[in-house]
Amino acid sequence: MINMQPNTLINQLPHRRMEAWKWTDVRGAVTDTQVGMTAACAPEFELPPSLTLTRKNHTDTGTPMGKLATNFAGEAYVVNVPAGFNSTDTLKISSLEHGHVRIIIRLGVDAKLNMSEVHASKKAGFVNLDLRIELAKGAKLARTINHNDHADTMRISTTQISAWADAEITQHILSFGAGLSRFETRIASLGENLKADIHGAYLLNDKRHCDMTSYIDLGAENAHIRQSVKGVVTDKARGVFQGKFHVRRPAQLTDAEMRHDAIMLSDSCQVRAKPELEIYADDVACAHGNTVGALDESALFYMRQRGIPSKQARALLTLAFVAEAFVAEAFDSMADHTSFMALITNWLEQNS
Amino acid sequence: MIKINNLTATVNEGQQTILNGLSLDIPAGEVHAIMGPNGAGKSTLSYVLTGKDGYDVTDGSVNYMGADLLDMEPEERAAAGLFLSFQYPLEIPGVPTMHFLRTALNAQRKARGADEMSAPEFLKKARSVAAELKIKPDMLKRPLNVGFSGGEKKRMEIFQMMMLEPKFIIMDETDSGLDVDALRIVADGVNALRAPTRGMLIITHYQRLLDYIVPDRVHVLADGKIVASGNADFAKLLEKEGYDKYAA
Repeated sequence: MINMQPNTLINQLPHRRMEAWKWTDVRGAVTDTQVGMTAACAPEFELPPSLTLTRKNHTDTGTPMGKLATNFAGEAYVVNVPAGFNSTDTLKISSLEHGHVRIIIRLGVDAKLNMSEVHASKKAGFVNLDLRIELAKGAKLARTINHNDHADTMRISTTQISAWADAEITQHILSFGAGLSRFETRIASLGENLKADIHGAYLLNDKRHCDMTSYIDLGAENAHIRQSVKGVVTDKARGVFQGKFHVRRPAQLTDAEMRHDAIMLSDSCQVRAKPELEIYADDVACAHGNTVGALDESALFYMRQRGIPSKQARALLTLAFVAEAFVAEAFDSMADHTSFMALITNWLEQNS
Repeated sequence: MIKINNLTATVNEGQQTILNGLSLDIPAGEVHAIMGPNGAGKSTLSYVLTGKDGYDVTDGSVNYMGADLLDMEPEERAAAGLFLSFQYPLEIPGVPTMHFLRTALNAQRKARGADEMSAPEFLKKARSVAAELKIKPDMLKRPLNVGFSGGEKKRMEIFQMMMLEPKFIIMDETDSGLDVDALRIVADGVNALRAPTRGMLIITHYQRLLDYIVPDRVHVLADGKIVASGNADFAKLLEKEGYDKYAA
């Protein structure tokens, strides 16, 4: 158990001297008066018919944030998706406004689940989500995350996905940041033929911060991974991307590509990126790419010469840039596709 | 229609003077050609007229249909009917050609206080213009100019020009990158736009284009100003004799 006194509690938080947290200093940013620091979160679930929600005690995940969640969240929320499950209805999770919460979702053999999460807060608070997803053989998960927090909220969201053979994952995160926010996705392949498309975009203004961190641990043959994260930052905002593909010796024939591209719209914003490959298998195709730049001034002049006002031209170019992260086929048919594009357009109208 | 008087422009924060007292008057209904050696300032003239950043006008004026052109933003000049067919058209990734053009057309209409063109009306017009220029419909769905060949990009400039129906057209080296068949198609498109109310300025290196689009006047630009002028036959003479005698 962790000592629950605020001062001691703060000492448990990850901080900038830890390599994985060097750009997202939770300890440095938190105040002990933050709503939700020692409380449980009460998420809302909307379940497809025939699925049920249970509460269960569960061992913690061993990470600093996982330990905190175990301490304050109470029992985990558990959704078991039976083998062969296939519904067009979406599992929706919302009201993740403040406090700690643990969620476990298990997909049985060949189960197929669409999942849509809203991470939002109207008031400043502290949110710590510890989500575990287990994909049995042939299970398919399509997940979207829509993140739009109060400017002073601090949110750490950690997802660990374990995937058995033939599993498929499609994930799209759209984040408008928070005072401090981090979406960490950890995927472990335990069987062959994993197919994962894990994309995202962050659009940050003011002093907002968003960190998209991922760790893809490949332990079996023939994985196919595509990752593209797009960032747009302005004002004094800060975007962070940390991506790692860890290709272990048995993971032959891995085909994995990682991209992070960011556009900086102001002189005082920041983008930090660390793309990493660690490869022990010899018959693999792995690549990573990272670019940070400004909008193409020549393209902007060309658009203005055609009569498109500067602001609109900037928004159009930026929208096209961000939209590249949201082109996966599995995402096209999801309701969130339309709403994501509308949210991005709206943000660009205010910030271009 | 456009009256350029003693235009002087510099780049590199005044370090380099590119246009050096250029004067030119192009009345409505006329097509003027500007020829000249490399580095004479031909492209700079097109950029200064359309308002690109990085060029400082230090002297002179440009009167465009009664307005002070140099006082207008690039998009205002476009809405007032000024169109530049770029020497090197830009690629606009992620923005489908049709979407780009409809956005541009409606932005211009909005700026002029006119109603937007409806989607079906726009589509109908785009299809007919594309057919005229022998542009395949699926090209219009692709992001503008991305992966297009040099010739396709030039043809797309003319497509945009015919869709936007500008009042004054500047064509910068439109013939480069075009084969003879494409050149004829492009020239037909341009000639169809010739009208008593419309002016054109054609910037070219070679006389070839002027066989297809016959100009009313031909000017030689050297060292940042017009050094000689003549009629359409003058271009043929220039082609034969070169620009050497006009260079400083």
